[in-house]
Amino acid sequence: MEYILHLLILICFYTLLSQSLNLSAGFTGLISLSHAGFYGIGAYITAILSTHFGFSFWLNLPLAMLISGAIAFVVSLIALRTVEDYFIICTLGIQVILFSLMNNLMNVTRGPLGIPGIPSISFFGMSLDSKISFLTLSLFFVALVWFVLKNISKSGFGKTLTAISEDEIYTQSIGKNVYQSKIISFTTSAILAAIPGALYAHYISYIDPTSFTVNESIFILSIVIIGGLGNLTGSFLAAAFLVLLPEVLRFVGMPDSIAANMRQIIYGVMLVAVMMTDRNGFLELEFQRKKQKMR
Amino acid sequence: MYDLQILINILLTFVINLLVANSYSLIYYPTKFFHIAHAAVITLSAYFVFFFANKLSIPFWPSVAFAITAAVSIGLLCEVLVYLKMRRRNVPALAYLIASIGLYLVLQNCISLYFGDDTKIINTAEVTVGHQIFGAYITTVQLVTIAVSLVLFVAVNLFLQFTATGKSIRAVGSNPELCNIYGISSNKIILTAFGIGSALAATAGILSAMDTNMTPTFGFNLLLYGVVAMIIGGVGSTRGLIAGSLLVATAQHLAAYYIDTKWMDAVTYIILILFLIWKPLGFSGKRLKKVEV
Repeated sequence: MEYILHLLILICFYTLLSQSLNLSAGFTGLISLSHAGFYGIGAYITAILSTHFGFSFWLNLPLAMLISGAIAFVVSLIALRTVEDYFIICTLGIQVILFSLMNNLMNVTRGPLGIPGIPSISFFGMSLDSKISFLTLSLFFVALVWFVLKNISKSGFGKTLTAISEDEIYTQSIGKNVYQSKIISFTTSAILAAIPGALYAHYISYIDPTSFTVNESIFILSIVIIGGLGNLTGSFLAAAFLVLLPEVLRFVGMPDSIAANMRQIIYGVMLVAVMMTDRNGFLELEFQRKKQKMR
Repeated sequence: MYDLQILINILLTFVINLLVANSYSLIYYPTKFFHIAHAAVITLSAYFVFFFANKLSIPFWPSVAFAITAAVSIGLLCEVLVYLKMRRRNVPALAYLIASIGLYLVLQNCISLYFGDDTKIINTAEVTVGHQIFGAYITTVQLVTIAVSLVLFVAVNLFLQFTATGKSIRAVGSNPELCNIYGISSNKIILTAFGIGSALAATAGILSAMDTNMTPTFGFNLLLYGVVAMIIGGVGSTRGLIAGSLLVATAQHLAAYYIDTKWMDAVTYIILILFLIWKPLGFSGKRLKKVEV
């Protein structure tokens, strides 16, 4: 039972991560490979604040979001000078830089040793130690983020973002500030990524840089693409699927060591399949619509 | 004497970067998308040598030949089975990049599954101390690496300049539709480019693995250095490739010497980002694409 709750909490984390990435990747078309970096910033800020200064979760969370957002803002000013595939390579570079900061700034992050002893969350004096109470808290954040993103996508600003993903030049020609909208979208997505970061740090109570590698970024991006760009429900379903996949593989009798690799192979194949077929490939349909419009 | 050793190390990194950047730009120039699975070709060739030479005990040179052939086939299969089908449907560059990440994941995990994630060494004859030149050391493998890389680089660029196929590759790079009108099949030319590019990458992978060692992900780093060198050099420029590779190699080793080896990766990407801010078109100043419409 404990283990099932653990899996459900993981699904919550990846739903939060993939839905927040969906704001920039799906709605705005800014496919980014630095999301695990911002997730990591959230986790590290929380870990440092709570172990060094004894801050509570409710103070750590806004600070983590703020710092993650500030870094994302600076990064986006640079990265958004490039477009499409150059943007991906640029964000990949940012991910590598963020990772090496986490891994190498020994006096701040303790490098590969990681930060142990992060206290659990307390809520009005009662400690959320049990998995069930933590799951409730995670579900609350999932619902909150889902609600916020749903509203952003329905708002006028959300429509501008969709317009940018479909035709950037046209959007600019009708007087929308494309550059500014992209910055807001990218920054917001990083701010939201700090939420699962803070939750993760308090939940596991120990963090090290290996949780925030390029591979993690690729994994989060895969969830978004497999679920469908701009599709929040899809992100949730894909997150659940990919988190439960190793369990299913273990259930059919595959050893642990193979299951991890098999999962990566399976979502690698799924990425290729989504890109090669029209079905489920939301990105695909989006671009075809754009092409038809231009003809 | 320590200075000379640094120079030799820079030279070594430079030639490997140059070879990878060259192999990559050969594919990037006609296709205009980032073929991330190229990293798996680099890794695979080294592991194939390991497989043939150490597991099947085939003599060294035939195993190198087999390994390069096998790695090239993987590169060609990526093009034939995935990219070609996507090109028929005319999808944006972004879709190829995501598909190639998927391909990379599949290939890299297959290597991990079969060979394991631990560090492997290709056994070549006996371990030697290396030749001493003015107090600095250089091994035979390193000498071979420098010679082979430079010869291949010159050969490929002469090939691109003076042969019909080479000219066609450049022609497809500048305008594929016009090429098709003139009767050059752009798909065939791109397949050729994938073949030559994969062969170069396979060579770079084997040389690099023999010099140090290998893990299932070492190709990814090697590829990214090459990509950074290509971007900061400017796409489609030979001199740019040399300048880019040299800059990346120098920066890495100076960072390793003056700061710490663990910052090598970060420094490489900081250079890339600085270039994207102040000189987005690279050394050569050629237009990337799509930036100006």
